[in-house]
Amino acid sequence: MVMAEEEESGVSIQLEFPKGRVKKIMALDKDVKRVSSEALFLVSRSTELFLQFLAEKSAQVAIEKKRKTVNLEHIREAVKRHQPTRDFLLDELPPPSQPTKPDRPTQPAGRPKLDPPPRGTRRIDLFFRKPELDDPAQAQPPENPAQAQPPENPDQDQAQSPVPVDES
Amino acid sequence: MVDNVGGSSSNAENSGIREQDRLLPIANVGRIMKQILPPNAKISKESKETMQECVSEFISFVTSEASEKCRKERRKTVNGDDICWALGSLGFDDYAEPLRRYLQRYRELEVDRGNSPPKRE
Repeated sequence: MVMAEEEESGVSIQLEFPKGRVKKIMALDKDVKRVSSEALFLVSRSTELFLQFLAEKSAQVAIEKKRKTVNLEHIREAVKRHQPTRDFLLDELPPPSQPTKPDRPTQPAGRPKLDPPPRGTRRIDLFFRKPELDDPAQAQPPENPAQAQPPENPDQDQAQSPVPVDES
Repeated sequence: MVDNVGGSSSNAENSGIREQDRLLPIANVGRIMKQILPPNAKISKESKETMQECVSEFISFVTSEASEKCRKERRKTVNGDDICWALGSLGFDDYAEPLRRYLQRYRELEVDRGNSPPKRE
């Protein structure tokens, strides 16, 4: 059987991530009742693609900065450069230099680790749902001189959503 | 260098959810990253842990979008089409085509194995 697969020569749908773990993470959302095997498969596969994408972009940033080791700042920069990714991830990333240096810089609040939202509350990314896609393509913007300053700093972290949710 | 550190570095706020159940295994994450990066590149342990958080957040993000669509349409089972729609809605259009091909392949194998039909709503 000859299959025209562009990405992989050996056609294999063996998933990299354990299905049980992916299912558990999906089930953290209390709105999720049941998940079909197809949905579980697609989420696992899309997560692989996302990880590959983010690793590739982080490596590019590391190369630009003449580094051999990919570190946290390279991931952060890669997240910034992709609008859909930054919409849901930038606020979740640890602040710059927070995990490596125990002494606090001038930043008032630090979140070294991503804390899961408490049960019953909705995550902050609901605020950013269906954002304005400024650049649909994955084009990298020109060099930003204000790289050190994150452009978006919402004041509400893990706040309860004031928008009423229709529940029948 | 062995990265087999138990997931107890941070205190979990949810007593019912263990830290290691909230994240994908760091070994899988590290392996996929190594496949993508140049051969001489290295990955710090901190980066692997951050990537664990990123991909788990991605799963939650896509799942939330898909389940919202199910809720509006009065359905209880999240299916493959919901996931494809969610990815497009969230701006990850590039993933739709490869996932469609993988889904087609997945369905073929399901038929070959004689498993239960994939669409159960």
